[in-house]
Formats: sequence, C-alpha cells, structure tokens
Amino acid sequence: MRSYVLKRLLQIVPTVLMITLVVFVMMQSVPGDPVVVLLGDAYTEEDAIKVREEYGLNKPIVVQYSIWLGKLVRGDWGISILSGRPVLHDVLVRLPVTLELIVLSMGVALAIAIPAAIIGALRQNTWADYTATTTAMIGVSIPEFFIGVLLLLVFSIGLGGLLPSSGWVYLPGTCPMMVCGVSLWGNLQHVLMPALALGVGRAAILTRLLRASMLEVIRTEYVTTARAKGVGERSVVFKHALKNALIPTVTVMGLQVGFLIGGAIVVETLFAMPGLGTFGIDAIIARDYQQVQGFALITAVAFVVMNLIVDLTYTFLDPRIRYA
Amino acid sequence: MSRKRPSLALTLGSIALLSLTLLVADLSAAQTPKRGGTLRVAYGNEILGLDFHTVPGYEMIWVATNVGCGLISITPDGKFVPDAAESWQISPDALLYTFKLKKNVLFHDGTQVDAAVVKFNIDRIMDPATRSSMRTFYEAVHSVEVLDPYTVQIRLKHPYAFMMHMLAAYRMGLVLYSPAATQKYTAEERRAGKPEAVVGCGPFRLVEWVKGVHLVMDRFDKYFEPGVPYLDRVVIRVIKDPVTQMAAFKAGEIDFIADFSADHVDILRAQNPRAQIMTGKETTPMVAMMKVTVPADGKPMSKDRAPHPIFNDLRVRKAVACYGIDRKEIVKIAFKGHATPWLGIIPPGTLDTVDVTPMCPYDPARAKTLLAEAGYGPQKPLTFELLTNTEKSVFNVIVTVIKEQMARIGVTANIRLVDKPSWLTTTTQDGPFDMYVEDLASLLTVDQNTYLSTTTAAWNHSRHTDPKVDEYYTRYAREMDQAKRKAIAREFQEFSADKLYWNTISGSPFYQIAQPWMKGYVYQAEFKVHYKKVWLDK
Repeated sequence: MRSYVLKRLLQIVPTVLMITLVVFVMMQSVPGDPVVVLLGDAYTEEDAIKVREEYGLNKPIVVQYSIWLGKLVRGDWGISILSGRPVLHDVLVRLPVTLELIVLSMGVALAIAIPAAIIGALRQNTWADYTATTTAMIGVSIPEFFIGVLLLLVFSIGLGGLLPSSGWVYLPGTCPMMVCGVSLWGNLQHVLMPALALGVGRAAILTRLLRASMLEVIRTEYVTTARAKGVGERSVVFKHALKNALIPTVTVMGLQVGFLIGGAIVVETLFAMPGLGTFGIDAIIARDYQQVQGFALITAVAFVVMNLIVDLTYTFLDPRIRYA
Repeated sequence: MSRKRPSLALTLGSIALLSLTLLVADLSAAQTPKRGGTLRVAYGNEILGLDFHTVPGYEMIWVATNVGCGLISITPDGKFVPDAAESWQISPDALLYTFKLKKNVLFHDGTQVDAAVVKFNIDRIMDPATRSSMRTFYEAVHSVEVLDPYTVQIRLKHPYAFMMHMLAAYRMGLVLYSPAATQKYTAEERRAGKPEAVVGCGPFRLVEWVKGVHLVMDRFDKYFEPGVPYLDRVVIRVIKDPVTQMAAFKAGEIDFIADFSADHVDILRAQNPRAQIMTGKETTPMVAMMKVTVPADGKPMSKDRAPHPIFNDLRVRKAVACYGIDRKEIVKIAFKGHATPWLGIIPPGTLDTVDVTPMCPYDPARAKTLLAEAGYGPQKPLTFELLTNTEKSVFNVIVTVIKEQMARIGVTANIRLVDKPSWLTTTTQDGPFDMYVEDLASLLTVDQNTYLSTTTAAWNHSRHTDPKVDEYYTRYAREMDQAKRKAIAREFQEFSADKLYWNTISGSPFYQIAQPWMKGYVYQAEFKVHYKKVWLDK
C-alpha cells in the first residue's frame, strides 16, 4: 500500500510537468501581450522591448519554461508580471477558499445524490423515482451561473439579505492576511450559496449514476441472499448494496473534481469570492504568464491528489481490492 | 369659548414650534459629520498595482488620490484649490510656476513634505527610466528648482495653458511619494502594494492590498487638514458582475460602487429608491475608430506608411462613420438613452466642448452616394472588420447595432470579439483591424488626448499621419488667452469631425452609486474619488 501511494505520488511529477508545459505553450500562443497591459498609457515600442528583456519574454518559449522550472525547483513560483506580487503567496491566500468550496460542493452533491438514488432505485418506476430522475435531469441541464443567479435573487435580494451575496469570511484560525473577517457562522453563510450552485449540477450526475449502480446491485444474488437470511432492509441497502454501488460513483467523483475547479471559476466570479478560480481567470485574461503557471500547477496537483484519494477509498468500499 | 381659543392656538403653536425645533435640531445633527466607521467600497475592475506613477487603470488612481496628496486639486466646477501647496504664483510669461508649501504636511512614514520632495517626484516622473504614464504630460517642463525648503519653482520650456489642470487632475494629478520610502524599496515592491513602500501624504494610509481579495486603508491621524478624514477605515473589494454588485448593494453589504454599469442603473434605481445615483455629462468618448494607414513594409509600427485599403478614402469614412451611423439609435439601444449622441473629439462634459454632431446627420442615402463615388456598390460591396473587446458588455451591443446600420447602406461589417489584452495588442502595436469600438480615456481637457491621437503617439490607433492634428493640439495647449483657446477648440472639433481620424459616436456614461447613509461625497466623474470628507450617517 505504502509503495503504491509513493509510486502514485511520484507519477504526479511528470503529469504536472506535462500540464504546466502545455499551459505555458498555449498561453504564449494566445494573442495578447502582457507588456502592453503593463505599460498601459505609457506604452512605447522602445519601452516594450526593454520590459520584454527584463522579464525574459524575448527568449524562446523553451528557455522561458526552463527558467520557470528552475526557479520552481528552488521553491520560487515567480513574480506576477503585472502586479509584481509573489505568485506563491497569492496562490496560498486563495487556496483555502476554493478547497472549502470544492469540498462542500461535493458534500452538497452527495447529500442530494445518495438519498435520491436510493429512493429512485428501491422504488423504481414510481412517482418517487420519476421525481428523482427528472430533478436530476433538470440539475444536469442548468448551468452553475444560472443556479447562482437564482440563489442570489432569492436569498440575497428577495429575502432581504438572508445570505450574503459576495465576499468571504474565513474560518477561525485560517486567515491568511492582516485583515480578515473571521467567524464560523459567517463562513457558513458565505459558502452556502456558492456550494449549492456548484454542487447541484454534480448531484444530478451522481444521482443518475448511483441509481443505475444501485439497480444493478440490488438484483445481485448476495443481496437476495442477505434478504433471505432475514437481514434488515436498512442493513441490506446501506451495508451491502450501497457500499458496492458506490465504486463507480467514487471514480466519477474523482473526475468531477476537474469540473468543480472549472465551475469554481464561474461561481467565484459570480459571488465575488477571493478564491483560486477568480485568480486563474484574472491571470488568463491579463496574460499574466507567471500567475497562469501558478494556477495550472496548483490545480493539476489538486486534481491528481484528489484522484489518488479516490483510488485509496476503493479499499474501504471493497476490501477485496488491494494495492500491492 | 373665547378663553379656550387662545389656549388651543397657544398649545398648537407650542407643539408646532417644538416640532420645528426638534426637526431643525435633528436635521442639523444629521448634517454634522460623524467620525468613525468603515466605508465598504466595490470596484468593478481589479487594481493592477500600486506604483502610482507607472501603473495604468482608474482603480489604481482612485486609491492614489486617497493615499497620496499633491500640490493642488480641482473642484467639480474647475477651480484650483490648495492641497500640499498653500499658494502659488504664475509669472506673466507663464513660464514659471512657484508653489509655497504648507509646513505641516507629513508622509505616512513621518517624513516632511517639502520643496525637495516635489522636485524628487517630478524628476522621477520625467525620468524615462521610470516609464511613467504621466511623463508625456510633463513635456513642457524644463526643470524644477528648490528655492527654499518650502518653495518650489517649475520652469517651463514654453507656455502651457493646462499646467495647473495637469498637476491637479491629469490621470491622478501629481501625487507625491515619500522619497525615503521610494529609494528604500524597489518599483516592484511598490507595484505589489507593500505598505512600507507605498507611502503617501494623503488622508488614508495603505494597510494591506491582497490582489483579488481587498485593499484596506486606515485614517492617517497626522493628516494636515484638521478634522478629516472622518472614516476610520476604507475597505475596497472587487465585484465584477453588476448583478452581484446590485445584490450586495441591496443587502447593504457595500456602501459605495465606484463605477457602475450604465445598463443596470434603471434596475438598481427601482430596487433601491433611496440610493444616491451620481452621474454627470460624459467625459469619456465612445469611439468607432477607423484605421487610415497601414505599414507599407508590413512591419507593425513602421514609419513607412501606406493608405489603409478601405478607410484611407475620406469618402468611405464619411459614408460609414458620418452619414451611415445613427448615433441616436445606438444611444437608445445600447445605453437605454443614458448617454449623449456625439461626434466631436471633445466629449460633452470636457472643457471647451462644442456640439458638432449636426455635421453628421444620419443619412443612409447620402452614405450610399458617397460609397458609389468611392467605387463601392452591389457589384463591389464594401466589407470591413469591426473589432471590439469583452471588457464591457455595451461594446458588443454597439457593434451589433453598427453592423445592422451598415447593412442598411449595403455594407457588411464582420464583428470580431476579442478580450482586452488581445485588443490592446492589436490596436497599440499597429495590428490589422479596420474599425474598433471602445471607450477611451476620460478627459478633463482634450489636451490630455495628445497621447491618443497625435501622429507620433503609440496610442494613435487610427495611425493617421496628418500634421494638422498635432498643430491643433500644440496651438490649443500653448494659447494662454481663454477666448482664443475656445476658438481653437471649436476649429479643432470641426476639423476632426470633417476628417474623422477620430470618430466619436457618443459619450460613455459614468455612474457612481452610494447608500443613503453615505454622506459628504462629491462626484467628480472618473477624475477624483476622494473619501476624506465622507462620513456614515448610521
């Protein structure tokens, strides 16, 4: 098990390097010059040439990437071309917000998907099943930003500011800056709508998948045997059926992390949250290459690590699975 | 009965008097500024950096004018008022500007603002190595001399009618940095917003800037104007989406929106009948700029220019941009009527503006005739590319309306929508485009526009090569007689409308929104966003 985890962790290195290389090349290929943005009204061709030299932007892409990589190995994530701010510092400030959003969104998705799928599977072709599957279809079809706007209209505007529409309050002990709003209750209020907006779509996907798995599992012989032995229905469903039905769902959950990171960009922008999503999109729009690299690096690592965690949960769900 | 009447009248009179007294007392109490509190501000765009002399963007300027102080400032009606300077003198030949400084002005690091500080800052801006966006405005400055510790003299090479305007409000005006902090820290640290590096002499000192999260400023207790600022703290957050801005405003999460989308003003007003909605005559032009020359050798920015295949022909420019564009319709659809249809190079709210819009009445028939004269028609239809960017949704609406209007005169406009950096790169680096729609810099005077439209300016996006434009700018800037200057401005606007190197289609409206409890704020369009006299009545 330990060697498996170590092997998987080592596999992260080439994966992440490949991702950052592709992102680096793509960013350089996209039209738009950060030097023009940096110089703004003061732009002259002569100054632009000097700035490109200062930041090494006149060097071939491979050389630029090698320099970035060399610094990364020494723990230096670089400096934002536009703001002059250290990239690692800004990434670390934003990371907890997005991590919390993603974890809670997944929590929302599971909290909706598991009961809906169980009900749908156990009462197949009844009104309860139709309701669950129809709701899932609607959930899949509505984009995050639309759900977000609806939530804003209802909870922030309609109900007289019941939930805050924007910003962030940190959990006690997690403030990464000099000035922060810090409160557990405030944090929950701020994260609730974004987590719902992001989680509902994922819930719909997971419901459909889990319902299908459950339908398959409850017709297997070992479930029939368990029932014949007189095992209680609750135990049959949760201990025998659900645990086995969860394996494909957990696999998809790992893949959904990528979608959640993408969705976080939209949701964080809508709710003006200081997370990695807004950091990434601002960096891409501004052509701030160093920040884009930082964003690509952290999201790639997060995606690979989350999938590793998913793989490790298989052993919990099915003890027959062993990693040598 | 006769005895009761005076008694009743007396009672009612007393009640009325008491009510009136209480009302007056209440009103006067309501108008007495209260100290303390935190002002929560929303910006629609990110602050790009905090080196005030070099970083572009209004959001930075609106921080600079609160953290920094300058020599003078300007009121909404155009009067110059002292800031760190207590008085000033202009020599009869308009070549010497002498400023006497106040003796109680301190930087946030405790160092004194004196004549040497002013010289240090102007020299820094004028130094090409600084790459200051303000440098172009100091072209007339010959030198700065320290006459005594509190007297500084700026010597000009030639008269410059807008020297005071420039020092007061071109971009942010002259903002003074502490030389001690400037020399100690790098430009990168200042740009990054390191509080120790960003040391000004304004009413608020920088506490923290975390890009994308917030900017926090606290009251500077040793600010030289007694009694102000009233606020303890200002917290600025970036909320890009207007719907989220509205939700946060409605919920009372923010007190002030520094730049609100014109498209959403009516909805916000309906949702918040007591909101203070501030606007004025537009000082920013919305333009449909046409490229008139291209590099003859194919190398961008080449001085060897060739005519643009479409818009170098004045007849085509007039057909398309003068008679073919219905400015009123654009304003009606894109701005829901909240803008002024305009043609002149000087926007409606800018000094010495003249309405030359009647020179270009919407006349599709005349447009078609001109196009036919230029050789375009059903046999050889005119097609051009209409570029815009995603920064503001209104650009997209405007290009769509223009496309429709072009179709009415038999012209095809192909829309190309790109993001802001791509647009900047294409237009500023002489890339290929035919026409673009954008709103450009907010102008206190059209003199500020030199860096956008003289023949040698990098931002001369039309790449016209007409020296008459440069002559107009020079004559206007050097004419010290106000009446003569006005006459030059009129002549220039008529010339510009005739040649259409610069094609304005309307003003670009600017809105600021404040909660009813935010008091003491004075609207000055994009030029000044000052919080020093703001207080919260709650």
